[in-house]
Amino acid sequence: MSEFADPSDADVIARILAGESDAFAILMRRHEAGLLRFATRMLGSADAAADAVAEGLIRAYRHLGSLDDPGRFRTWVYRIVANRCKSHLGRRSAQGVSLDEAAPVPDPHDGEAELERAEQMTLVERALATLSPEKREAFVLKHVEGMSYEEMAAMTGERIPTLKMRVHRAREALLEAMKEHR
Amino acid sequence: MNELDPRIHQVLDGELPLESLPPELRATVLRLERAAQLLRAGEAPASVAGRVLAELRRPRTATRGRRVLRWLTERHAITIALRPIWSLALTAVLAAVVLVPTHGTPPLLGAQEGIAQFVGHFPGARSVDVVGPFTAWRSGVIPLRDDDHDGVWSAVVVLPTGAHEYMFVVDGERWVADPLAGRYVSDGFGRQNALLIVRPVGR
Repeated sequence: MSEFADPSDADVIARILAGESDAFAILMRRHEAGLLRFATRMLGSADAAADAVAEGLIRAYRHLGSLDDPGRFRTWVYRIVANRCKSHLGRRSAQGVSLDEAAPVPDPHDGEAELERAEQMTLVERALATLSPEKREAFVLKHVEGMSYEEMAAMTGERIPTLKMRVHRAREALLEAMKEHR
Repeated sequence: MNELDPRIHQVLDGELPLESLPPELRATVLRLERAAQLLRAGEAPASVAGRVLAELRRPRTATRGRRVLRWLTERHAITIALRPIWSLALTAVLAAVVLVPTHGTPPLLGAQEGIAQFVGHFPGARSVDVVGPFTAWRSGVIPLRDDDHDGVWSAVVVLPTGAHEYMFVVDGERWVADPLAGRYVSDGFGRQNALLIVRPVGR
């Protein structure tokens, strides 16, 4: 490995815990895009996703010392953000706002191909929004974030057969919802 | 809800190649993969890194519990301001505690002896002595102490019962009548000596 290779998450965490707090920016650069995408899919709102990810990253920084295996930072920070998303969903449900209402609407000034793509996106997003949070999380982690079942198990604390079954049910529910929204 | 053919899941889980499926099942796999692709490509919110770093650099506001705990465990200079009348009352209470007979075992004192406590506030003084007939008006016999350097000097001594004139001698040269004595008598030279009444202990 070159001496200029990117440091591993564990190396960066060791630097942060040794007092180099600004090194947390490396971890953010590395994982922020995925976390924002995951939270956006979970919450159906870019603003709420930004809030959940910012809260999650702050929480992660303040509890870095409690992370047993720094090599598993990715699944750990996803779990923190997933929990923030669940809190947002709980609050939103209490306020009576649905994910469906938060879905974007295609802009009629776009070109035909863009419009078609935007319509497909809206269809998929609305279908995803109808899934239960558990199924939505399972589908997004597996197919949007590209996690293995082992990573999902480390993140959620669930057993692999349980997660597999949940992903299977999520696929079936998504296809069903896409038919209904067409 | 319609259950999908298990082979579709096997392909999506990477356990079977897509080519192993009949065309109608492949179409379902491709629909799910297209949906996932759209979700991956969707517009992401702007970075929150700046916001997070700003929050992490901001000094944390301690909770009320933490503030109370910190106050209790750190050193503080505490100043108690009392009106003179309350100072006198406090002195009287202290004198009562020291001089009034108690029901416990009395110290080994003679029938004609009592305990006297001398207290004076002399911030910055290097030494304070109490003098009177009981020291032949000489300093250095009964020195007062200020162990915690708060300017309050004190001494507890056994004296014969009865009235005693006394003065404080500060830094070996300045004679001061106790401002908290309450009773004073003329020294015959135009000044006042403080007067202390010592009562017998346990009687």
